[in-house]
Amino acid sequence: MPETMDIEEYLRQGGVLTNPSNVPPRYRGELLRLMATFVDSELAGSAGFAAMINEAPGLKARISAARIVLEKTDHAERVLTLMGTFGADTARYAVHHPWAARLPRDADLGTARHRSDMRLSVFHYPLQGWVDAVVMNVLMGRAVGVQLQEFSHLSYAPLADIFRQIAPREARHAELGEEGLVRIVATESGRAEARRSVAFWRPRIAASFGREGSARFDTLRRFGLRRRTNEDLAAAWAAEMDAFLPAFGMA
Amino acid sequence: MARFFPLDVAEIRRDTRDAVVLTLKPREGDAEAFAFTQGQYLTFRRAFDGIELRRSYSICAGRDEGALKVGIKRVEGGAFSTWANQELKPGDVIEAMPPMGAFHTPIEPETARHYLGFAGGSGITPLLSILKTVLAREPHARFTLVYANRQISSIMFREELDDLKSTYLGRLSIVHVLESETQEIDLFTGRVDAEKCAALFSRWIDIGSVDTAFICGPEPMMLAIAASLREHGLSDAQIKFELFASGQPGRARARAASSAASVAGAQCEATVTLDGATRTFRMPKQGESLLDAALANTIDAPYACKAGVCSTCRAKVLEGEAEMLANHALEDYEVRQGYVLACQCYPTTDTLVVSFDQ
Repeated sequence: MPETMDIEEYLRQGGVLTNPSNVPPRYRGELLRLMATFVDSELAGSAGFAAMINEAPGLKARISAARIVLEKTDHAERVLTLMGTFGADTARYAVHHPWAARLPRDADLGTARHRSDMRLSVFHYPLQGWVDAVVMNVLMGRAVGVQLQEFSHLSYAPLADIFRQIAPREARHAELGEEGLVRIVATESGRAEARRSVAFWRPRIAASFGREGSARFDTLRRFGLRRRTNEDLAAAWAAEMDAFLPAFGMA
Repeated sequence: MARFFPLDVAEIRRDTRDAVVLTLKPREGDAEAFAFTQGQYLTFRRAFDGIELRRSYSICAGRDEGALKVGIKRVEGGAFSTWANQELKPGDVIEAMPPMGAFHTPIEPETARHYLGFAGGSGITPLLSILKTVLAREPHARFTLVYANRQISSIMFREELDDLKSTYLGRLSIVHVLESETQEIDLFTGRVDAEKCAALFSRWIDIGSVDTAFICGPEPMMLAIAASLREHGLSDAQIKFELFASGQPGRARARAASSAASVAGAQCEATVTLDGATRTFRMPKQGESLLDAALANTIDAPYACKAGVCSTCRAKVLEGEAEMLANHALEDYEVRQGYVLACQCYPTTDTLVVSFDQ
């Protein structure tokens, strides 16, 4: 066993990096990109959901919505603080995009980013009222679960730690959504409305897992920043949806 | 943003032939900034021949010692560690950023946890801080330390560890594994690799009772130990790592000499290296950033904010010159070394050679 080894070889063998001074330049770029995507998506997601607090049909629902907004912002802050250790100006970053801004509902974004905003494309679509917000939260909540499961193993230990810590809280957000959805689908009209929202969100959330055959994936896997392909993750989520939606009377 | 504070060097204690322990004192009003959590590190900066070097060293004091201490082992050819070992004296001033790092678990005084620590050489520094803190603040905790060194004379903090063993009789257990010195028990001779871990776990350490494991040492040792811990049933969340800075180069390289300033011209020939592949393309000197030009030429350069804020697109200018419209992320010393934010970077010379790999 040699005394030391090349850091890329170390990563290839599953090694873990622990502070900015360990991190090779290309790894640094990809890691920051991944963190920026998470921060932008959480901030955009919570900013969009904030408007829905006032749409909540009751106090419990209102508290749930407010809690989701609060905690997603907190999760963004934790990762942004970590970006700060690499030199990012966190105060400027937190306000450099209008996080509540949305594009038209009928915009065709696919997996593409919009301008310099790194939020996942799905967070550019506007929510249309309470039922739509609940459906989006339930479907996306499960997608976040799949993503966090993947990211909890990534090779930058301080970030993997954060993802492991927030995963249960993000899972709870999805559960709160499911509690709301149970009430919505109790009526025929509610079920019809929820079905329309599922039809809108499902393909768009599926697209948020990223392109098939992504060239970047090989780099990310070599760096220990990813394990499973975009297709694998999207398929895992789709399987969850297939098993789960019928329970709410939705196929 | 990163900020440096002056620290007074109050004491320098020679610990082994090539390691010193510095006791540092923050200035009036800065004490709060230097309150630390066990296992954290300090990042120092100092100019060597006009080039700024930054080095991170772990704090070796426990939280209840009322002092800020770091251990610095001299690395062959390492400018900073050699300076700290040979030239630094009490009364000198050294600049450091506030403590950083997440190599710890929250203190829970009511619990009776069993911690397992692995240290290789100077990797002992954060582990010493952790074990002193948890043994003091969690009265029911146990700590088992496996400490790998070449020989007895190179063991850092040897006496202090012996004293701690007496203080925490029955709660602190230390296994010294020496590479090139034979001990009475074969188990304690050699390197800490997968085989050694398996032997330790079957005969010496009840791995099933371990709540959290901490590892700090060189890369091959970390890989071997982590693999073995996972094999013995620990989850990723139970294994905490600190990789010490063996990968840090001893001396920063000077920026490559820039080519002569060009006559006015609207175009620049840009050469960009990414992931080991180099491509050349032409771009306008104005109106399009280096990042946008690279992306337009199907180079998959990393970026995020495109606003000079996040530093994802950091690259190094190797030849030629460029100016940045905005920079909220790079520090002066990085700019002096030739780093730019590609999203804010516009060439001012006819050729520009840039690498994302440095």
